[in-house]
Amino acid sequence: MLKVAIIGCGKIADSHVEQILRIKGCEIVAVCDREPLMAQQCYERYPVKAFYSDALTMLREARPDVVHITTPPESHFALAKMALEEGSHVYVEKPFTLYERDARALIDLAESLGLKVTAGHDDQFTHVAREMRRLVHEGFLGTRVVHMESYYCYELRGAYANALLGDKNHWVRRLPGKLLQNVISHGVARIAEFLTSESPKVMVQASISPELQRRGEAEIVDELRVIISEESGTTAYFTFSSQLRPSLHSFHIYGDKGGVLLDHDQSTLVKLRGARFKSYAEKFLPPLILAKQYSGNFLRNVTVFLKRNFHMKSGMKYLIESFYRSIELGIPPPIPYREILLVARIMDAIFEQTGTRPGEERLNVFANSRS
Amino acid sequence: MIPDSGSEFIRQDDLILVTGAAGFVGLRVIHNLLERGYHRIRCFVRPSSSASEIVSLIGTGQFPGLHIYRGNLLSHEDCRRAVQDVAVVIHLAAGRGEKSVPDAFLNSVVTTRNLLDACADQQGIRRVVHVSSFAVYSNAEPGQRLLCESGEIEKHPELRGEAYCFAKTKQEEIARKMQVERKIPSVILRPGVVYGPGNLAISGRVGIDTFGVFLHMGGSNRIPLSYVDNCAEAVVLAALTPGIDGEIFNVVDDDLPTSREFLRNYKRNVKRFRSIRIPKAGSYLLCWLWERYSTWSEGQLPPVFNRRRWNSLWRKTTYSNQKIAQVLGWKQVVPTKAAMDHYFEACRAADHA
Repeated sequence: MLKVAIIGCGKIADSHVEQILRIKGCEIVAVCDREPLMAQQCYERYPVKAFYSDALTMLREARPDVVHITTPPESHFALAKMALEEGSHVYVEKPFTLYERDARALIDLAESLGLKVTAGHDDQFTHVAREMRRLVHEGFLGTRVVHMESYYCYELRGAYANALLGDKNHWVRRLPGKLLQNVISHGVARIAEFLTSESPKVMVQASISPELQRRGEAEIVDELRVIISEESGTTAYFTFSSQLRPSLHSFHIYGDKGGVLLDHDQSTLVKLRGARFKSYAEKFLPPLILAKQYSGNFLRNVTVFLKRNFHMKSGMKYLIESFYRSIELGIPPPIPYREILLVARIMDAIFEQTGTRPGEERLNVFANSRS
Repeated sequence: MIPDSGSEFIRQDDLILVTGAAGFVGLRVIHNLLERGYHRIRCFVRPSSSASEIVSLIGTGQFPGLHIYRGNLLSHEDCRRAVQDVAVVIHLAAGRGEKSVPDAFLNSVVTTRNLLDACADQQGIRRVVHVSSFAVYSNAEPGQRLLCESGEIEKHPELRGEAYCFAKTKQEEIARKMQVERKIPSVILRPGVVYGPGNLAISGRVGIDTFGVFLHMGGSNRIPLSYVDNCAEAVVLAALTPGIDGEIFNVVDDDLPTSREFLRNYKRNVKRFRSIRIPKAGSYLLCWLWERYSTWSEGQLPPVFNRRRWNSLWRKTTYSNQKIAQVLGWKQVVPTKAAMDHYFEACRAADHA
C-alpha cells in the first residue's frame, strides 16, 4: 500500500484527494496545512488518517511514500525539496517551480536520492490528450512536427478575479510572473512535449487588455502572444487571453502529412488529412468527414461517461496513477524531466520579456492552502 | 423603525464594528444603526471592495463617525486592529465559496476564528453577533414540521454537497466553542432566505435551473423569506439588546408565501419563463438517484443533489419567528407584501438593464 500525503489543503487539494481515493493500492496517511483548521476540514471530509500544521513533523511522523504539494507556487520549491530530503517522491502542482533553476535543482536532487518527481500538467492526460499523443507517435502527422498552436484562455470574472484585481497584495501578484505564472503552464506544456531542442527561441508580445486598463490595472498582464521556434524548423504559437471568446483551451498540431485539433473544453479530437480531394470534392467531402469525426467524438464521450471515467479531473487521476506506477515499478515517470525543465525554461523566457519579473529575490516560503 | 435613544448596555457613542459592511445585509445594517443614532461605525471591507455606497454616505458629511477599514480577516493583525476600542462586533462577512468547500471554509471559519481570537484579547467587547444561516439545520427529524431554534443541526455537513452549508455549520461550531472557552459574549442569528434589491436570485428552495429549464421543487412549501431590511433590523436588535448572550434566533418574516405563490408572482411581475413542477416524491427520487449515481460513479457527477439537501430545501416545513419577536421585540419593518413589491421592482429593473 502506497502511503500518500498532501501539503496544502486549499481548493486544488480537494481534487487531488478525490482522485487519489479512486486509485487502488494507496491510502492518504496525512494532510498538512500551516493553518490547522484547513488541514482539519480536509481530514474531516475525507478518509484521511491524520492532519498536521507543520510539514516537517508530518513527513517525519507519517513517513509518506509520496507527497503532493498543493500550496501556492512560491512554496513549491522549498516544500518539494524538504519532502525529497525526507525520502518521499513528490508530485508538485503546476507551476512546478518559480524558476527553471529551481526545477533543475529539484530534479537533480530527486535523481541523486533515487526518488521521482512530477509536475501537475494533468491536462495532458485526458482521454483526448492521450489519443492525440498516440496519433502523433504512430506517425499521423508525418515525419516531423511543423507547427503548433496552443490556446489557453482565462476569463477574469467571479470572486477570484475580483479579489485579484481589487487586492494589490493578492498572492498571485507576488509571483514573479504574476497571473501568467499561475495559469499558463498547461498551455505551454502542450507545446513543450513536442519540441525537440533544449533551448528554443521565444518571442513575446504582452499587454494589459483595454478592459483591465479601464479598471485601473497597471500590473496584471492578461494578453500574451508567444512565438516559439527551434532550429529544426518547428514553430509554435502560444496564446493567452482574458478577452478572447470563446475562452479557448485548445491545441493544434500540424506535421508534413496531417494535423490534429484538440479541444480541451469539449473533449474533442479532429484529424486533418494532409491531402486534398480533387476539384469540388474538396468542398463537399471534408465537411462530411468532419461531421463523422465529431459524431465519433460524441459517441466516445458518451461511452467514456457511461463507463464512469469522465470525471472533470480524469486527467489528474491518470497522471497520479501513472506516477505511482512509475514509483512501484521503477519505470520512468509519466512526464519526462526534460519536458518539465523545458516548460520552466520557456516560462522563464516569457517572464523576462514581459517584464513581469522584477527581480529574482526569493519570496517568503510558507505552506498554505491555495484558495 | 423607531429611532433609539441608546441604552445602558450599548451607548450611541460606542464604537461598532461591522464586517462584510459593503455586502447585501451589511449596508442595511449600517443604515439601521445610523438611523438609530449609533454613529460610530467601523466598516470592515475587503481590499477589493469598492464600498461605493459607504463612501457616498461618508461623502455627505453627515456621518463623521462612519469609517471604512480595509482589511483581510485572514490577517490576525488586521483583525486585532479592527476590534480595537470596539464595544460591539457584527460579523456578517462570509465566503460562499461557490462550489469549493475549502474556499468557503477559509473565508468563513478561519476568518471567524481570527476575528474571535482578536475579540478575546480585546477588553470591553460587550457583544459579538454572528450571522449564520438556515443552511445549518438538518431538518431531517422524523415528524418535525416546525423549524425553530432547537432544530437539529446538520451532523454531517460534508455529505450535503454544499460548500456554504459546511462552512456555516463549522462557523457556528467554532463561534459556540470560542464563546464558551474564551468567554466571548455572543449571539447567533440564523436568517432564512435573505432577499431584496441586491440579491435578486430566485432561492433554490423554490427551484433550480441547472438543467436549462426551471424545475419548480418547492410546490406548496412556505419559503422562509427574510427581507433585507427586516433581517438588518434583527441583526441590530441582537447587537443592542442586553441579557441575551448565548442565544440563537431564527430570522424569518411573517406571512410567508408558498413556493407556488412566489413563482407565480415572480412570473407575473418580472418575466415569464417556462417551469416544470416536480412533485415532492419526484424531487426526492431525483435526489436519491443522483446521490446513488454519484457514489457509484465515484463522483463523476458531484453529489450536489442528495437526500440531506432535499430535507434542507424541499421537505415540507413551517417556520417560527416567535422567539426573536418575544425576546428581542423584533417586528417586521417592511411587510411582506411591500417587500415583495420592492424585490420584484428591482428584478424588473435588473432584467431591463
